[in-house]
Amino acid sequence: MKVALFVPCYVDQFYPQVAIASLQLLEKLGVRAVFPAQQTCCGQPMANSGCEQDAKPVYHHFVETFQDYDYVVGPAGSCVYHVRKHFDIIDQTPAVQHVRTATVELFDFITSILGVTELPGRFPHQVGLHLSCHGQRGLHQANESEMTPVRDGQLRRLLAGLEGLTLTELDRNDECCGFGGTFCVSEAGISARMGQDRVADHLRHGTQVLTGGDMSCLMHLEGLVRRRQLPLQVRHAAEIFNQAFA
Amino acid sequence: MSTRARMLAAVRASQPAALPLPAVPLFEGEASVGKFTTVLESIGGQVVSLSHLNQLAATVALRYPSEYRVASALLRTTVAVNAATAATILESIDLAVLRGAFGVAENGSVWLPEAAMLHRALPTIAQHLVLVLDRRDLVATMHHAYGRLASQPGGYGIFLAGPSKTADIEQSLVIGAHGARSLTVLLC
Amino acid sequence: MSQSPTHAQRSDVFLLDAERTTWHDETLWFVRQKRDKAVYATPEFQELRQLASDIKDHTLSQLAEYLEQFEAAALANGVRVHWAADADEHNAIVLGIVRAAGASRVVKSKSMLTEECHLNPHLLANGVEVIDSDLGERIIQLRGEAPSHVVLPAIHLKKEDVGETFWQHLGTEKGLTDPQQLTEAARQHLREKFLAAEVAISGVNFAVAETGSVVVCTNEGNADLAIGLARVHIACMGMEKLLPRLSDLAVFTRLLTRSATGQPITTYTSHFTRPAPGKEMHVVIVNNGRSQQLGRPDFRASLKCIRCGACMNTCPVYRRSGGHSYDFTIPGPIGAILSPNIDMRQHVSLPFASTLCGSCTDVCPVKIDIHTQLYKWRQVLGAEGMLPASKKYSMKLLSRVLARPGLFKAGGVAARLGLRLVPHALSHAPGYNPWAIARELPAPPKQSFREWYAHQSSVSAK
Repeated sequence: MKVALFVPCYVDQFYPQVAIASLQLLEKLGVRAVFPAQQTCCGQPMANSGCEQDAKPVYHHFVETFQDYDYVVGPAGSCVYHVRKHFDIIDQTPAVQHVRTATVELFDFITSILGVTELPGRFPHQVGLHLSCHGQRGLHQANESEMTPVRDGQLRRLLAGLEGLTLTELDRNDECCGFGGTFCVSEAGISARMGQDRVADHLRHGTQVLTGGDMSCLMHLEGLVRRRQLPLQVRHAAEIFNQAFA
Repeated sequence: MSTRARMLAAVRASQPAALPLPAVPLFEGEASVGKFTTVLESIGGQVVSLSHLNQLAATVALRYPSEYRVASALLRTTVAVNAATAATILESIDLAVLRGAFGVAENGSVWLPEAAMLHRALPTIAQHLVLVLDRRDLVATMHHAYGRLASQPGGYGIFLAGPSKTADIEQSLVIGAHGARSLTVLLC
Repeated sequence: MSQSPTHAQRSDVFLLDAERTTWHDETLWFVRQKRDKAVYATPEFQELRQLASDIKDHTLSQLAEYLEQFEAAALANGVRVHWAADADEHNAIVLGIVRAAGASRVVKSKSMLTEECHLNPHLLANGVEVIDSDLGERIIQLRGEAPSHVVLPAIHLKKEDVGETFWQHLGTEKGLTDPQQLTEAARQHLREKFLAAEVAISGVNFAVAETGSVVVCTNEGNADLAIGLARVHIACMGMEKLLPRLSDLAVFTRLLTRSATGQPITTYTSHFTRPAPGKEMHVVIVNNGRSQQLGRPDFRASLKCIRCGACMNTCPVYRRSGGHSYDFTIPGPIGAILSPNIDMRQHVSLPFASTLCGSCTDVCPVKIDIHTQLYKWRQVLGAEGMLPASKKYSMKLLSRVLARPGLFKAGGVAARLGLRLVPHALSHAPGYNPWAIARELPAPPKQSFREWYAHQSSVSAK
């Protein structure tokens, strides 16, 4: 199985430890992922801004970069969702079709493709899970409160399986954090307010470590936490599992 | 070209190729008195059992003040109402006692056809409303309800569920907005 | 060219009162939770959504035929049917009916269409008194405001605001804030109006092609009371309100209120098919941009909307910015996909007033792909050259960088270096960096992942 690691642009530049943890976690699960160095970005920032046409060369570049792999695994539900859903505007060659279906979110890959439903290790903290909307509602990695009262999902199960870990029960299990790509600057006031409300829900219920499968949401929340110097650590779930899986 | 013709032409030019009309299955549900009662009470209505229709007058007398001005085709009444009754008279009515055609257990509503209203405004202008319903005339869901109407809704008819209410001020539920301040279903 | 304020600018005003924002958010979230409870208790809810969506898709695909069928049935019932291409024609028709009836007093129940057409100012300018009878609508009418929600028109107001308004206009006691007493005052005030009105105007929730009926749903009973008393009933409907069969109402009445407020059904679900003897019933069928939207395949599904407001209650942006921040008759996510059809330039910011979280799509009882349409409107607005120049050119530049790995690598190094070298006060200056109004920028690491990876590879190669 040829697996490529897809590292979203902002993770590469600002959160290398998340990509390192993803790579090492996969390795511990017997998957040697490679990092094709010519990769850049999925093109979502442009497309979400209404400049989808400008993103086309980026889409083509993404497909050229990853077409020879069986799976393209990324620690970011939003970017994966973008590739799978919005690469529909370029010519649907076999390579494009392949890359769209082969691109998978890290924990989706671990649970659905590798069939791993439990990860070993100990993480004795109270952990609050932030569900990324694109992972949850877009990629269906977790149940949606719009449909069912049952709070379940891939990441939630994996976290609950770690020794010593307590999961936070939030008032609002799956409210958006307000990042929203360029929304975070074009609607900065609402974006910040949404994030503050999300963080408050976690603090109210005792979260010590705030985690999730999408670094973009976490980048936004971390920025709010650091600004107010709140007693919360923000870490991507790959970091938690990689650390626990010693 | 008339506006009508232009509008229809514009729609024809814009509408896509015909898509199929789905058949709607008859979703089953509970048609019990218990379910109907629970739901109607949860939306502010009351349900009272009558062992026989001949208890109607006594039950109404017991539940409402004797000075109430009552309009009904089922009781001896203080106000005679028909389709031509003036608004000023309608406005003075405290209680209307009307015959409901059937009830819907899933939502506590009662189908009130025009023929049972005496006047179209009576169900909403009366301060209080009693609907008399045969307990055998309960259906489970709205699918069964529209099945009973068989594409014949009459000139005017209401699925009426509970007293008039509003939550337009800060989402605080207030009973008695413009229509009846209370609704009681007498099941016989 | 004067630019109207953007959604973000109007939201910033709303956000100034943080406590009120919290209250607004929590009040609407409470409505969303009531909706959830009703939905979870209905096992076939998802099946009903699919049926509703399919029935609406079908109806829109044969809308012209159904309009003709509806008209024929209504005419046979003794109903007068009018056709209005746009808001002006709608208003002229309504005024004409009022005048022909020799009337000067009109009571109106809730209708987003007449809001869309700005009927009230037109009637008032022509000497007709028009009173909104829905409590929420009456409150905002007295205040000279527009509704901020399709189902809860006065949800932006607190009971103190309503008390103040009623004190000024209805002569209630100053400082009265009890919703029960305020509602009672409105009941007394509006009873007089109901009794005096010669014409009753209503909206239409559903129209049935098979029977020529229009269905109006209220909790207050204001539509039935007004129509039952007035000599003339005018029902104003957007032409997308049609359903083929009476039995289709089962699907829609089951979905509408569960989605809107969590109720199993509205208190009054009223079917108007024939005028009462000696009285008149008119139906005004309005286009006003709907055929144009029908002709846009990507946005056609927005016409399936049944105005339940669920997308507003669930939208985390709407809850924190209020309905008036959208500056369109229909606010919230659905308004943001309907409004550009009416005026792209004026409403250019609305499709961007979303994180595309998708919750709107998931609560929509007729399965409108709202968040996908928001995304698609952004592309249309981009292609039409409606985006601010700064955004347009920065995105072109970004594309060039992201399509070229060499440039991307160099750019990343420069950005991280920049962040490390530039003083905090400058990188977080409010005028230059909207990110930093409430957030710290990420702490830039010394090494990017690709640098780390290249280093690892060279180490392991040795």
